[in-house]
Amino acid sequence: MSPNALVELTIDGKRVSVPAGTTVFDAARMNGISIPTLCHQQNETPVGVCRVCVVDVGRPIYAASCVRPVEPGLVVTTNSDKVIQARRTLLELLMSDHPTPCLRQQHSRDCELEALAKQAGITQPRFARRTVAHGNDDSSLAIAVNFDACILCDRCIRGCNEVRGNFVLGRMGKGAQAGIAFDHNLQMGDSSCVSCGECMVSCPTGALTNKKTLPIDVGPDHSAKIAEPDELLQLPVFKGVSGTFLELNKGAIVRRQFRRGEIICKEGEYGSTAFYILEGKSQVSIRSPIAHVKTQDTARGFLSKMVSTLARRKEHPREEEANRRHIPIDAPADLAYENPVAEMGPGDLFGEMTCMSFYPRSATVRALTDCTMYEMNRNVLDILQRNKTFKERLDSTYRERALSNHLRGVPIFAEITDDFLDHLRKTVELVRYAPGQVICKQDDPARSFYLVRIGFVKVSETYPGGELVLAYLSRGNYFGEIGLLGGGMRTATCTALDHVEVVRINGEDFKQMIERFPQIRRGLEAAAQERLQQNRDRLAIVRSVPLDHFLAQGLMEAQSLLILDLEKCTRCDACVRACADAHNGVTRLVREGLRFDKYLVATSCRQCRDPLCMVGCPVGSIRRRNSLEVIIEDWCIGCGLCAKNCPYGNINLHPFEVMEDDPIQPRRKMAVVKQKATSCDLCSDTKYKEPSCVYACPHDAAHRVDPTTFFADKLGQAPGLTLKR
Amino acid sequence: MLIDETHKKWRDFSLVFLLVATAFYCWYPMRPPQGRNGGSAVGIAFGIIGSAFMVFAGLLGARKKFPVWRLGPAQTWMRGHLWLGLLSLPLILFHGAFRFGGTLTTVLMVLLVIVIVSGVFGAVLQHYMPRMMTREVPLETIFEQIDSVRAQLLEEADKSVAAVCGPLGVMAVGSRKLPAGGYSERGGATPAAAAAATPALALTEEDSAPLRSFYLRQMRPHLEKPGAGDHPLADPGKASGIFEELRKRVPPMVQETVEDLEDICEEERQLRRQARLHHWLHGWLLLHIPVSLALLVLGAVHAYKALRF
Repeated sequence: MSPNALVELTIDGKRVSVPAGTTVFDAARMNGISIPTLCHQQNETPVGVCRVCVVDVGRPIYAASCVRPVEPGLVVTTNSDKVIQARRTLLELLMSDHPTPCLRQQHSRDCELEALAKQAGITQPRFARRTVAHGNDDSSLAIAVNFDACILCDRCIRGCNEVRGNFVLGRMGKGAQAGIAFDHNLQMGDSSCVSCGECMVSCPTGALTNKKTLPIDVGPDHSAKIAEPDELLQLPVFKGVSGTFLELNKGAIVRRQFRRGEIICKEGEYGSTAFYILEGKSQVSIRSPIAHVKTQDTARGFLSKMVSTLARRKEHPREEEANRRHIPIDAPADLAYENPVAEMGPGDLFGEMTCMSFYPRSATVRALTDCTMYEMNRNVLDILQRNKTFKERLDSTYRERALSNHLRGVPIFAEITDDFLDHLRKTVELVRYAPGQVICKQDDPARSFYLVRIGFVKVSETYPGGELVLAYLSRGNYFGEIGLLGGGMRTATCTALDHVEVVRINGEDFKQMIERFPQIRRGLEAAAQERLQQNRDRLAIVRSVPLDHFLAQGLMEAQSLLILDLEKCTRCDACVRACADAHNGVTRLVREGLRFDKYLVATSCRQCRDPLCMVGCPVGSIRRRNSLEVIIEDWCIGCGLCAKNCPYGNINLHPFEVMEDDPIQPRRKMAVVKQKATSCDLCSDTKYKEPSCVYACPHDAAHRVDPTTFFADKLGQAPGLTLKR
Repeated sequence: MLIDETHKKWRDFSLVFLLVATAFYCWYPMRPPQGRNGGSAVGIAFGIIGSAFMVFAGLLGARKKFPVWRLGPAQTWMRGHLWLGLLSLPLILFHGAFRFGGTLTTVLMVLLVIVIVSGVFGAVLQHYMPRMMTREVPLETIFEQIDSVRAQLLEEADKSVAAVCGPLGVMAVGSRKLPAGGYSERGGATPAAAAAATPALALTEEDSAPLRSFYLRQMRPHLEKPGAGDHPLADPGKASGIFEELRKRVPPMVQETVEDLEDICEEERQLRRQARLHHWLHGWLLLHIPVSLALLVLGAVHAYKALRF
């Protein structure tokens, strides 16, 4: 039959003519007869999976009208009692698996399934509910997934694949276990989903819903206004972003105008937005003094008094200190250590870590010229970062402007030549990982070398009985070299702790690099040996310490404990007063804490092997020396996140008065209070071997000890106590 | 402070010194015509050495004022304070040839004896009491924070009871109560217990009455005024009996709350014990330090007068 030929049929007693190849559903619709459906949408290929559109076509089995083509003389009944009853049964079956009301019904009261059920008068399905929940997937910042609300209509799959051509969604499982899946059954946030939102707008139920965030506060400022979707879609960087999505998230992106000299964000402040510079230039800098807290004697001799001062690296170089040349910040440019100021211009995005992981702002940004910026919430940023156009632009900016500083900022790579850097610019990949996603797994083949660009990576090793955290790596750190230099297998598992972006250098380029630059090879080999030795030592300690209580109190994790022998301690607080005296009245020790045996483990830095305090530092200023001692670098901005993260409350903020330019009268200086994080430094900046607290204890009760040695006999190992003084 | 084997050197030195001093004391009356007295060369020498030991012992207080000064570890000073301070008594007795002399010297001797006896008493307390405190007060806190911990305990108890009995009609800790359960009204603040009193368990008034009554009439007054030592809940034996009785009168679903309240009472008793032990541990210093200061000042006057006249 010719495709243009008309076919005559009868629908609900009405004779109609439609082109050959038309489905019964469309034929009815074209003639004003409505057939209910769930899985069928006009812009998608019909699949007939929900069967709600069943009609009687005079055959023993009812046909799904969305996929049944018309035939000459076909007699169709869409609304007989039997058909309605069949449809009702189908709806009851679907409703028995459907959480009522679903998220969509709760938010916008437009769940199509619940609307049809209500229309059919179904209040309580006759069938038993599913006993095993399929659960939720909350990993995407833009879309909430509730697998329990999914009716397997496949509209989302067809939307993703046919309408958008992204091919992320598919079906997985069989029978009761059947469901939709992202890529090869990954979490949505970990998959290659670009957050276009097509699946969400296709979904008839609350299985895929928009995660609406609170709109950004525009405030009374007339220079800020909510960005309209139409305005955004005209910008090249928003090319490919779903207009529906922007419409749904209206208020999550604001266009702001900043006058020259105006502060856009301040270091140390908490925030939840990122900024994209549309026009104008801005300056990013660290305004806190680039100095660390040093405790020193005011005079020579035994009557000397200790004071805490801010000391710059040149004034007070530290032993074993890595020769860092750049300060890592949450912006496309690293800051030079000597002069921590950089410029940003149109196309730059800053504040990603604050926006995605809610870390404090790492630097202060001030408008150099009049600027126009888009301030956005994390769901919008996530959509943009998944957008190919935007990501390419960001990646390109990074390769051109930041890769060189970033790579050369690691002392081992300082000698890398420009031509090789040009080669790397073309070959390196910037890869993003969602929180909890495994970057590389222990015992897997080693194929790449990684440099952390954004976020924190946890390095851990499994051993019989658990997992041992070996290190936390932040921006500027690298990993993956041990596997590549050694036997080709990964020796540890690296996992993204938050939203992580790494620079991936493939194995071939890495091989070329170490062949061409022998000094880099030597540096990497030495660092790898050191890391391996540290890991072996830590594993040996874990394996040899059997006491649960000892482990539960985190004592095994400590490298140095301040303990008070409670049978000797008269609670005179001489130790606390000495600590306060040694640090300008700000004690770094509290005589309270956990008890182990007859000892009180005082609240004072334990120099943990698993230093949680380092996770999240927006400028990476808290780090470990090679001796594993925790130190705070000069560029600490005093945001206090490390103090919050320390599980033992052992980090304090020490206020200092410093002089700063007066913003009102530019030629004048004004005194402002800046904070620096401090923890027990064992009074190591002084010439004395003993910490002040131990020295001042008149009752021989306070000791700084290595817990595994000191508690050896308690742990059933070597007899005798060895005091480390 | 434990006076243990780590004091051996100081103890041995003190014994040897005492023996030598005693030998001198026994030997020297053969030499001066007037026999043993403080004015003789040996007597003056005993006086100077004894006074020097007292001054050194007295300097411990000054040393503690400057804890970070590197004047030798504080424990060395403490051991010197103990042993040299103790040695000063026989040396001064040798100096005065066991005679008290005039008024000033008699006063000085009395003061010295008080200082030495109070010091020995303090040393004995500090030897035994830290162990006692460690054993008897496992929930020990910083002494200065005892009041705030008590306030927290009261708040916790209010919330626990309100969670099963509903609003108690008492005011927040640090503010005051409404007139309920026999309490007087003193101020107007937000009733925290009432505010936090969304009952997690819906007990009837009849079921909750025994717990509510016990708490408002017995336990809360005890927590509010823990100083009253004769309260039955201040005695572990009596408290155990009271709670045992209460358990029988409340429904099973409230047993956990009763256990929480019993734990709170136990913590309160520990805080009381800690405060008492703390006062014993440091209270003797209220006598020891001023008398020591008086001794040093009057000793200086005595030395001045003796040398001048």
